[in-house]
Amino acid sequence: MSFSEWLRTNSQHYLLEASEREMAKRYLGTAPPLPGGGVGPLFWRRVFVPAYRVVPWAWRRSMMQLMPGSHRRHWSYRPLREGRGTPEP
Amino acid sequence: MGGGAAGIGAAGAAKQASPDARVQVFTEFEDVGYSPCGIPYVHGREIESFSGLILQGKEFYEKAGIDVRYETTVESLDVGAGEVVLAGGERVGYDALIVATGFTYADPGVPGSQLDGLHYVKNIRRAMEWDPILDQAKKAVVVEASPLGLEMTTALAHRGLETHLVDAHPWALSEVADPDIAAPVQASWAEMGVQMHFNTRLEAFLGSTTVTGVRTSEGEIEADVVVVCTHKTPNNALARAASIEIGSTGGIVVDERMATSRAGVFAAGDCIEVPQGSTMLPLQGLSGSHAYSQGKVAGTNAAGGQRAYDPVFVPWGMVAGKWMIGGVSFGETTAGALGIPFHMGVAEGISRARYYPGLHKVRVKLLAEPGSLRLLGAQMVGGEGIKERADFLAMAAKKGITLRDLATMENVYSPPIGALNEPIALAAQNGLARLARGPGS
Ligand SMILES: Cc1cc2nc3c(=O)[nH]c(=O)nc-3n(C[C@H](O)[C@H](O)[C@H](O)COP(=O)(O)OP(=O)(O)OC[C@H]3O[C@@H](n4cnc5c(N)ncnc54)[C@H](O)[C@@H]3O)c2cc1C
Repeated sequence: MSFSEWLRTNSQHYLLEASEREMAKRYLGTAPPLPGGGVGPLFWRRVFVPAYRVVPWAWRRSMMQLMPGSHRRHWSYRPLREGRGTPEP
Repeated sequence: MGGGAAGIGAAGAAKQASPDARVQVFTEFEDVGYSPCGIPYVHGREIESFSGLILQGKEFYEKAGIDVRYETTVESLDVGAGEVVLAGGERVGYDALIVATGFTYADPGVPGSQLDGLHYVKNIRRAMEWDPILDQAKKAVVVEASPLGLEMTTALAHRGLETHLVDAHPWALSEVADPDIAAPVQASWAEMGVQMHFNTRLEAFLGSTTVTGVRTSEGEIEADVVVVCTHKTPNNALARAASIEIGSTGGIVVDERMATSRAGVFAAGDCIEVPQGSTMLPLQGLSGSHAYSQGKVAGTNAAGGQRAYDPVFVPWGMVAGKWMIGGVSFGETTAGALGIPFHMGVAEGISRARYYPGLHKVRVKLLAEPGSLRLLGAQMVGGEGIKERADFLAMAAKKGITLRDLATMENVYSPPIGALNEPIALAAQNGLARLARGPGS
């Protein structure tokens, strides 16, 4: 597993867990996720998730786009520019 | 390489683009051209037999000039030499290779994973062999509330088995669906006698040679059959070994032509990753319809044609319990996880005129980009029409349609098939009204 795969697998897991916890607060009758123990999870829950959340979405998205992947190859399709109904130039 | 939706789509498209091309398909399985998607419904007895799932017989491919090599495993790729190496050592040269090796179910990573009797739903022959066991079985465990897990839980309960669903997350399909979307499904499972074990970790498969149950963080569950429905992971060992670039999802990196990082090698289906259309972040493990379309693009380009694939907005939908659920791109849970800002509109409408028998409630949630109000995603639960709404909303998201557009959309009103007020329009109108009331409303 490459570094980017490791990072994505873990960040996805703990960000989802944090979101599930918020959803449990928002929707009555929904149980929050059960946190597993250990030192590794502590880093992801206490350091990574809060740090990820203070960064504005546009920056976060730019950082994620720096990761290797299919999005770095050629796609003629352009996503719509944020805040507008027109494609990015 | 691969005889699933992507491989067969690619072979047909290559032949169409270049009728004189020699097209060979290698598959480990005994068959190609069947619908794995129908298998859970035969187990559930909604469909009578497996025969209806076979789309084309072997003669069809012969007549079409596609040489399918059944039960033939590709052991390695020699991309430098332009050859695939088959089990047994035979080397087969190619001008263009399409990797369509699909997915494997994630390793549950617990003791007992090698026990006999654990069922992984994929190969139709194995499903045919396994199905009669269900006639004798009384108690089943389904591992993970993935899309297939939802289908198999529903199917086994419908077949009359005492069905237990074990999942480490707090609600069904939580990686895709919101809790208010899953709640009616779970309530209907309870009515069908399904025993749900959420927030419960699988610790082991039990048994000496044949599986007899599972051990979980909440205790042991005995079972006659255990179905493993862990999430799909890309089957890319050969591509990795051949130094074909792999992305952060574990999927093969491709461009819009489905070309990989190695010249002459294309890839399609569940073994690749493609960008999501509004964020351009890569996704992997989509659906059979995505795999088939990607295969057609890869096959056309591999045979010298020109065809491009667009980033995806992922409309999805399925029957689970007594409900249909579905959506597009992001729900509240996934948008919240990524930290994508959104404004939401929610409504509960009906699927037919209020006086027409058989109407169902339809709950629609629309997520829109703050400011522009462009549609980012949707979540739905109802009894009918979810698929059509998901397809429509995926196109709406792709084309930059806003909540304002949706609030004033036109809709069909016909008592047996559609209500006066379309639930999508109601959700958009509610979203706009919330916005007008100001922050915190
Ligand atoms: C039970 C079930 C239900 C499903 N339900 C739905 C549904 O409702 N809707 C939907 O859209 N999709 C559904 N799917 C489709 C599924 O989720 C995938 O998206 C789809 O199967 C991907 O197709 P694919 O061709 O990429 O890969 P796969 O279907 O995984 O096919 C991979 C192929 O590669 C071959 N292969 C792999 N390695 C080798 C090798 N080394 N040598 C030779 N051959 C090899 C295999 O033999 C196989 O033919 C379902 C699938 C299953 C199994």
